[in-house]
Amino acid sequence: MLHIDNLSFGYGLRTVPVLRGINITLSPGEIGILLGKNGSGKTTLFKNILGLCTPRGGTMRFDNRDLTKLSKRERAGIIAYVPQDIQFGALSVFDSVLMGRVSHFGLRAGREDYALVEEILKDMQLEAYAYKNVSHLSGGERQKVAVARALAQEPKLLIFDEPTGSLDIANEQLILEEARRLARKKHIAILCSLHDLNQALSFGDHFFFLKNGTIKYSGGKEQFTQEIIQDVFGIRVRIIKYENETIILGES
Amino acid sequence: MHTNHRNKGRKTAVIVLLLLAVAALFFLCLFVGSSNMSFAECLRALCRTSDNANSIRIIWNIRIPRVLAAVIAGAGLSISGLIMQTTLNNAMASPSTLGVSNAAVFGANLSIIAFAGGFLDTGNHLANYSAGANPYATSLMAFIFSTLSILLILGLCRIRAFSPDVVVLSGIAMGSVWTAGTTLLQFYATDVGLSAAVIWNFGDLGRATYRTDLIMFGVLLLGATFFSLMSWHYNALLSGDAAAKTMGINVERLRLISLLLASMITAVCVSFLGVIGFVGVICPHITKKLLGQDHRYTIPASILSGSLLLLMADTFSRSLGGGSALPVGAVTTLLGAPFFVAIIFSERRDAHASHR
Repeated sequence: MLHIDNLSFGYGLRTVPVLRGINITLSPGEIGILLGKNGSGKTTLFKNILGLCTPRGGTMRFDNRDLTKLSKRERAGIIAYVPQDIQFGALSVFDSVLMGRVSHFGLRAGREDYALVEEILKDMQLEAYAYKNVSHLSGGERQKVAVARALAQEPKLLIFDEPTGSLDIANEQLILEEARRLARKKHIAILCSLHDLNQALSFGDHFFFLKNGTIKYSGGKEQFTQEIIQDVFGIRVRIIKYENETIILGES
Repeated sequence: MHTNHRNKGRKTAVIVLLLLAVAALFFLCLFVGSSNMSFAECLRALCRTSDNANSIRIIWNIRIPRVLAAVIAGAGLSISGLIMQTTLNNAMASPSTLGVSNAAVFGANLSIIAFAGGFLDTGNHLANYSAGANPYATSLMAFIFSTLSILLILGLCRIRAFSPDVVVLSGIAMGSVWTAGTTLLQFYATDVGLSAAVIWNFGDLGRATYRTDLIMFGVLLLGATFFSLMSWHYNALLSGDAAAKTMGINVERLRLISLLLASMITAVCVSFLGVIGFVGVICPHITKKLLGQDHRYTIPASILSGSLLLLMADTFSRSLGGGSALPVGAVTTLLGAPFFVAIIFSERRDAHASHR
């Protein structure tokens, strides 16, 4: 269980903090969505959780272990990351996914590592690609490989930084549904940033609205009100109920 | 599974082929030289059954140490190049990126021009300047200055957490400082000192002895062992710093140790043999072109392709020089550059993106 309490962060010591008073709690199998304008601090918050930045204050605990006190390797056993701009070397899909195991095996992959990778590839229907060079795959396929690599870390928390940024609508759906299925099946908590409010609504359980480096609103789907969206994004929207679904429409 | 086996089989086959080529060329090179010994005589000398003591001396004291030096230095420069390119995420990085070669040249020139010709009264005679006359003093100076250069840059770059661009740029700056220093030294040198210094700068495998070979081999073995063990960590680094860190890799530490080891290998080779350029750029690229970027394969393959290129270049330089060998550094570049350009232009567009 992820427990972030009163987290703050700033570049340098005397600067205005980029993040202030961040509180997030996420249980296994739950999907939390970060929403906010560009520059509201979503990526910075991820960097803090991932250990790429050192927080200025507050606590971050996972299953009661202080995240800031863990080594990179220990942290990699708990948290995995699917970055916004995915980079791969010219390796096969199989080896790229196997690479996610590096924090477990250290220097040399063992039989159980290979077995797990095969299982993940099968589960995500990537078997057919297994021995293709990743750098020859399309954006959507590479995104799937990145998710598979993150899963190979056997994390308890998965961080998704705008996973649908470079994907077409079919691949967006595919990745998000896949992520949700795996979160429920393997009891992995997911923390994800998304731009599309409708996508967020259908994918997430908990919502955290970031504004100026602080979580201004958080809660379930009831948080999607005209007032909150106007406050966070500065736009007017219409919220429509249609066959038990909520649809958010931009107002021109 | 099929393709996987075929792929791994192909990669292993390339490595085995390279190994065989290096072994074959190693023996072939023993039979080529300026003394015009016959094949049979070489063979007898190799088995120490020849009646001619000179033949045995040529094979065992001149050719074998030289060919060993080609194998070791070629391997060292090539593997250093590969590791530099990976850890600095820069295809143009080379073993000399940290200014190692320039610093070594400065140190050697200082030793030859300032000490041998100035402070020590050795007489104004070319023989006294030749690197062979006092190889260790010159090599030691070269080594001291290249180590200094490495430590200075790595020390500086610690402040910026070894950001690759910072390392590359400070390497270029540092290299230029040493080159400027060398120019000043040469400006004040006597004509004899200057020619001795310039001759030192040409890489020459003829300077190698069993002892220098052993020292180079020791450093290479240390580096290559570390690099091989870290293969997966280098693979992770190909995904970028942030991703590698979240996979549990201590990127800064890996980069520090890798840069230090790669530079030390280069420093030792350059200090003993002079500047041998381009091996460290060409060989890793050819290897990546053939085998992709999986370091489990590219590390051994780079080692072997480096040995192979330097062996070929040295054989050429000895057969074409007409008695005195041509500078091997120039030959590696002349041999390698057209090949290199051909490879770059034969690259498919889609593959281009993957060879960052």
